[in-house]
Amino acid sequence: MQNALLIGLSRQMTLERQMDVIANNVANANTNGFKADHSLFEEYLNSNAREDNFVGADRRVSYVQDRGTFRDVGQGPMEATNNPLDMAIDGNAYFAVQANGGERYTRDGKFSLNSTGQFVTSDGNLVLGTGGPITFQPTDHDINIAPDGTITVLEGTAKTDSIRGKIRMASFDDPARLTKLGANLYAAGSATQQADARSSVRQGYIEKSNVNAVGEMSRMVEVMRSYTAIANLLQQQSDLHKSAIEKLADVPA
Amino acid sequence: MQALHTAATGMAAQELNVQVISNNIANLRTTGFKKQTAAFQDLIYEHVRRVGAQASDQGTILPVGVDIGGGVKTVGTPRSMTQGTLSQTGNDLDLAMSGEGFFKILMPDGTYQYTRDGTFQMDNQGRVVTAQGNPVQPTITIPNNASGISVSEQGQVSVTLPGSSTSSIIGQIGVTRFINKAGLQPVGSNQFTETPSSGPPQDGTANSEGFGKITQGSLEQANVDVVSEMSDLIAAQRAYEMNAKVISAADQMMQSTTALFR
Repeated sequence: MQNALLIGLSRQMTLERQMDVIANNVANANTNGFKADHSLFEEYLNSNAREDNFVGADRRVSYVQDRGTFRDVGQGPMEATNNPLDMAIDGNAYFAVQANGGERYTRDGKFSLNSTGQFVTSDGNLVLGTGGPITFQPTDHDINIAPDGTITVLEGTAKTDSIRGKIRMASFDDPARLTKLGANLYAAGSATQQADARSSVRQGYIEKSNVNAVGEMSRMVEVMRSYTAIANLLQQQSDLHKSAIEKLADVPA
Repeated sequence: MQALHTAATGMAAQELNVQVISNNIANLRTTGFKKQTAAFQDLIYEHVRRVGAQASDQGTILPVGVDIGGGVKTVGTPRSMTQGTLSQTGNDLDLAMSGEGFFKILMPDGTYQYTRDGTFQMDNQGRVVTAQGNPVQPTITIPNNASGISVSEQGQVSVTLPGSSTSSIIGQIGVTRFINKAGLQPVGSNQFTETPSSGPPQDGTANSEGFGKITQGSLEQANVDVVSEMSDLIAAQRAYEMNAKVISAADQMMQSTTALFR
């Protein structure tokens, strides 16, 4: 008798979490390099107690459970900024940065220099090249970053380029296994790095968030309507109980 | 409901974004102004089910986890130090810097400030000063009977004195650069001060060793691009509205629950 209530409740709890995921996507609609998350659901079969004395055997009850959130790793739109230190990756790779707690990965290419000329993220974490952190000399100018990540500069009055390092593009066998840490950073977790020859760096561009506004809004309406529909269902179920109790109580003894 | 708080962080972030954009637009005609952009980051995630966790006795590993994010935060408003376009004024003491470097200004309290605004004038002692009356460094005093002020690309100031047919050099406008010029702190009046993040000032000569060159009779315009600011403004406004919609949707969901079993 209570199954409808419990099934409804299990669905409402997953819908609430899906709403949280949508809210986070929408809140990060202007976050550089942000990748949207989406919810996955699965049927959860309850192995309830068997009662063999009844004529018909018990049927198993299906609940809903959120199995996971999967990340849309699709490319975000590129915005031209004309800032020579802004970078975007075209492809599946990530920038490697040295953060508190070890090596982390990001798609947010809003980089700058710190007071010692080291290449850093907005948080001050060092951006890693193939040979470690990248440092510029005070007299460097005309910074140029090639699609393969090689950074060249003109030093002082020199007319020929000097190489300052090469941006490391970290690529993973299964990017879904990267864990979001916040602050636009990912931890490698159980994912392993692999070679990637297809990703390239775009200088003077920033990768924007890949949140699809229309998709999020329509999903939001869907979630809201399903949630209220279940609330109605629960209400009707409750009314049914109420009227059954009232009617049965009215039966003269 | 987490969604309410998440959307609130989104609204706050977009509000700040609009503030930054409106300041850029307000300074559209400010000489030597450098635009800012707001940079955002996601907040920490609640890992409801952790990816890579063991899902069954058979050793099945979860291919995806349930990660719920808490919204967005502003990490900074970095300044874009790209070159502004030069516009000609024909004024002898209007100087524009093209390339790396700032003009160095001596403040009344003895400290230095740095600017890209080369709208200079002469004060009652003949010194070259900013619009606020603070002298450009090193101090250059123009004799009151001099004519034909000329500033070279290297910043050399020469004048023609009465009774002389050739011009003579009377001083040198200094230029200063910082390794991280985006780390300078704006103090208003188109001026910046040094911070621990900008690195120490490096004085030098214009048009040499990577320093920019000085153009006399021109001013550097703000590097604000109106069209991109307007499109950013629309994007910020729409993002704000979307977050507001999330709040009302979450509210409606909660309402349907509280309305149950009256």
